[in-house]
Amino acid sequence: MTAVDERVLAASSGSAPLRANRMRPRRQWWRFAAALGITAIAMIPVAVVVYLSLRPGTGSTSTATITFENFTNVFQATQTLTWLRNSLMVTLGTVVVSVAVAAPAGYVLSRGRGRTVSGYSLLLFVVQSLPVITSVIPLFIVFAKLGLVDSLLGLGIVYVGVSMSVATWMMAAYMDSVPLSLEQAAWIDGASVFGSFLRIVLPNSLPGVLSTAIFTFLVSWNDYLVAIVFIRTNTAFTLPLGLESFFQQNVTDWGSVMAIAVVMTAPPVIVFGTLHRFFSVGGIGGALAGQ
Amino acid sequence: MTISPAGTEHVVAGLHRPVRRRPRLTSVRVTMLLLVTPSAFLLLLITAYPLGYAAFQSVHDGTLITGGSYVGLSNYGNTLTSAAFWDAAKFTVVFTVVGVFGSWLVGLGLALLLRSKFPGRGLFKVLLLLPWVVPVVVSATSMNYLVATSSSPMPKLFHALGLGSPLFLADPTWAQVTVCVYKVWVSFPFMMLMVSAALSSIDETVYEAARVDGASSWQQFTGISLPMIARSTYISWILMTIFCVNDFPTIYLLTGGGPESSTTPLVVLAYRTVFQDFQVGPGVAIAFVMTLILVVVSTLLYRQIRKATYQ
Repeated sequence: MTAVDERVLAASSGSAPLRANRMRPRRQWWRFAAALGITAIAMIPVAVVVYLSLRPGTGSTSTATITFENFTNVFQATQTLTWLRNSLMVTLGTVVVSVAVAAPAGYVLSRGRGRTVSGYSLLLFVVQSLPVITSVIPLFIVFAKLGLVDSLLGLGIVYVGVSMSVATWMMAAYMDSVPLSLEQAAWIDGASVFGSFLRIVLPNSLPGVLSTAIFTFLVSWNDYLVAIVFIRTNTAFTLPLGLESFFQQNVTDWGSVMAIAVVMTAPPVIVFGTLHRFFSVGGIGGALAGQ
Repeated sequence: MTISPAGTEHVVAGLHRPVRRRPRLTSVRVTMLLLVTPSAFLLLLITAYPLGYAAFQSVHDGTLITGGSYVGLSNYGNTLTSAAFWDAAKFTVVFTVVGVFGSWLVGLGLALLLRSKFPGRGLFKVLLLLPWVVPVVVSATSMNYLVATSSSPMPKLFHALGLGSPLFLADPTWAQVTVCVYKVWVSFPFMMLMVSAALSSIDETVYEAARVDGASSWQQFTGISLPMIARSTYISWILMTIFCVNDFPTIYLLTGGGPESSTTPLVVLAYRTVFQDFQVGPGVAIAFVMTLILVVVSTLLYRQIRKATYQ
């Protein structure tokens, strides 16, 4: 009896659950082993960072297997703390402003119709695909005149602009799922459009807000290209620049390098680890498909 | 018609009404306009204005400080006839094709694997997102540790396995392979998320019906799963194409574009031309050509989305 016949028989004779019980343990085992193997291989670069950051560095007298001296060294002897503070300030500023700008725009894309609205949404699609490098070069020249080069404010402005189109889509996608009837009820009670946006739609799309916030957080926390163009002095470095410049100068001091790397990895991992259930990449795709 | 503030129906509900020639500036329109203004202003400031300025620069011979004089299309001419540009274009294509389809295949495989229930599935799902969540600067540093010199762990492993001692970052071909593999590693979680989301939206009864009709697992995969997720697949390809062509740090932090420019894509070439050789005009011209390619490719794929609607 072939496999297909067996399934057909099992299904048609109504014994599917029985078959499933018999088949499942072996299949499960195979899938578990495959997932374990792939995950283990994929984790190597991450594990290396954590492992090396906890190992005694070169020139250390410690004989312990695990030590935190790399971290104390890095915080005392380098400007990691300054870089961390810079990164946090820029990223939090970007997240707050992005959400504040993208949420109302997303509301308009979600609720409004007509040629202007669909034109604007198409414009956002085109803008999203433009290489950042194209706008970074002219912006550098403009920002140099305005004194925004080498400043965290300038960096934040670029991040908000860069992440805005996707952020707006994500907000629009979530607001699409908030029923119009909720707003209509509020209008009957005399609420304005702005009032219903603020009190009805926004609170009901909190997962969308969180999702957008996570997205912009990752964009600005992980950025290297914009930062390397705009930031010049050590004290204004964000963590990516700090880590990279420290690595260039201390190539063999893996313990310290990886300690900074861990400091840099922790915030996105914590944010994503606690909030990942709110984050839906499908939301981005869905928003795009709806255009 | 529902009860709503004056004029709401034009914007919110009465969307299928014929468009008026001269729309009245109602309070709703004003509200909508005000809500979208900050976003439009930023779009103008961060994208439109720089783009216009870049267009200006690409036909001038200026520097980062001065505007320079008009030179016509010579920047584009020089760019399109230089060997460096075509080498970079070739590598961009290789990097993008490997990045898009490599990460898609890995992501698809993992999404299928993680679809059925088995112990620890939730943990694997979260752990497998790490390559995407960990900052590229961090993972590039880690890759440097793993492959950079002949005494790094990976070359040692290859040697121990009798596969020779490849110079992962010093040999041009190996450097290209390393960068591409690294890109797939960074990007597969994104594809996994996209495919998982699409697969979970397929109704389980479709599979049951197919099984009753005697469809094999492979037939179910090619006959149901793939066509049903086609729309999302095209979208993920578009997005990943954009990500790959624009990807600067993944390559720059690992190889710096070397050895001998073998891993220099257009975006790194544009960056180097402007900020290391200080030739603003030619650098912007490269970025513009890149933009053009992106718009063409994503428009073509975008059309495919429209075709791939559910039957």
